[in-house]
Amino acid sequence: MTTSFDWSLPRGTPIRGKWKQGTYRVERPLGEGANGKVFLVERQRYYYALKIGADAVDLQSEVNVLQSIAKQKQKQGSKSGAFLVDVDDYQAADGKDYPFYVMRYIKGMTLGEYLQRQGKEWFPVVGFHLLNKLAELHEAGWAFGDLKVENVIVADFGRPELVDYGGATAFGKGVRQFTEIYDRGYWNAGSRTANAGYDLFSFAVLCLQLHEGRRLAQLSAGLLPQTRTQEELAKLAATSPQLKPMSGWLRKAFYGEFGNAREAAAAWQQWMHRPSRERSGPGAPAPRWMKGLFAASAVVLATTVYWLLRSGL
Amino acid sequence: MKQILLVTDGCSNVGVSPVIAAAEAHASGITVNVVGIVDQGDLVEFGTNEIEEIAKAGGGLSRLSHTRQLSQTVQMLTRKTVVQTIQHAVHHELKQVLGASSIEELPPDKRGEVVRVIDDLSETSSLSVALLIDASASMKPKLHAVEEAIRDLAISLKSRQGSSELAVFHFPGSAYGEDCKLDLDWTRDISGVNAIFPRLQMRGTTPTGPAILHVIDFYQKADYGNRKNDETDGMMSDYVV
Repeated sequence: MTTSFDWSLPRGTPIRGKWKQGTYRVERPLGEGANGKVFLVERQRYYYALKIGADAVDLQSEVNVLQSIAKQKQKQGSKSGAFLVDVDDYQAADGKDYPFYVMRYIKGMTLGEYLQRQGKEWFPVVGFHLLNKLAELHEAGWAFGDLKVENVIVADFGRPELVDYGGATAFGKGVRQFTEIYDRGYWNAGSRTANAGYDLFSFAVLCLQLHEGRRLAQLSAGLLPQTRTQEELAKLAATSPQLKPMSGWLRKAFYGEFGNAREAAAAWQQWMHRPSRERSGPGAPAPRWMKGLFAASAVVLATTVYWLLRSGL
Repeated sequence: MKQILLVTDGCSNVGVSPVIAAAEAHASGITVNVVGIVDQGDLVEFGTNEIEEIAKAGGGLSRLSHTRQLSQTVQMLTRKTVVQTIQHAVHHELKQVLGASSIEELPPDKRGEVVRVIDDLSETSSLSVALLIDASASMKPKLHAVEEAIRDLAISLKSRQGSSELAVFHFPGSAYGEDCKLDLDWTRDISGVNAIFPRLQMRGTTPTGPAILHVIDFYQKADYGNRKNDETDGMMSDYVV
């Protein structure tokens, strides 16, 4: 039994569904998950993302998750539910059937790339949106599971989307797919049972990964399995100048102290808007012209007060 | 559901063939998975062949893994095998109920429900995993990684909905012809266990076959009590029909 699906589909290859006859034309590969490959495809001048894999059961369970989320969203009256477009099988040249499903295509780049190009100042607002995305998913009864930098695509104006639902797990069940460094169990910080805290833990690691990736890798490599703890992660966050404003938030996420993702998002918003988070950095001295201007306005004020007092009395 | 997970880095060289032993395990309802550790390419082609054969005879899966990926490989094999075992049982039902011999034969919109049942059962069925660790001399530097992988597996088992337990054996047991030794009896939680392998005396021989037989025996002794032998089948029939 093979789990890796390692043939490539060159540009222009038509993928025709065996059951519903829908035909998609391959543009280029977009990415790869544990259960299959994702391609950008075109059909009647619309772009879609098509995920194709080797195992019908694995792929169908992803489809089940997507359908269940879509149903939940419909119930709530949201119109963004049309995420899943088509599910079918592709009869490849080797005579075998490969299951695939088609999703809406999200134009954007991975979170890492986005911050590199647009600047790290985007991170607080992207993070806030992402927490709300997680909250939405949690409210439908699912944990995302495999939250990591590669699985977050950011579209224009810092709007993130989660991609690759291979790890999505119903609350209360064992998380189906995870990446060690983002995993609560790996850091001896709790179980792998899917709940809000599991995703929030991964989210906090994601913050470390984005700002202190090198130190995080060193930390993970330098510790013995039994000495990996959430305290080590919290300490790393506290000693990082970039993560300082959110280190309190991160500590709570590492220790599972948020009741749910909405609460975590609200707390995130609080540090985001705290006035101490100045764009120029708290340590930067005021420029000379500003000092001069301040002195001048003080003099003007004093004169005005003096004049007012004189004329009024 | 019963599994044996064999972790080895070489070929068996003493006693009954491990392929026959694995076939016996399969016949008594135990699935055998094999992880072959390849660090410096020390598992030669003959060994690769053997682990594939053992897994095939044992109804399970085999994978080669570097010690660095051991935890992930062990996880993945255990999970995959659970799903596969359930899938076999479901296939059996599919044939009878729907006339389709596999999930792939069903149109996609009919698969959803079947897969939901498979996922559900995979998560909730009870699971026992006996880890059988090759402790021959060449494995010595890898035992840390093995222990880590066992602890990691324990976390995942504990996080399942269904009840899960694991036991750990190593082989050869001693210089006096003991094929296999129990290090850790059935447990649901190993976080309190300090060291799984206390001071192992590494030996040169690799009695893989006899060790597998030993674990089958251990399983059967545990079944002596009030455990039902074919609980999976009984449960399946209830669920699907």
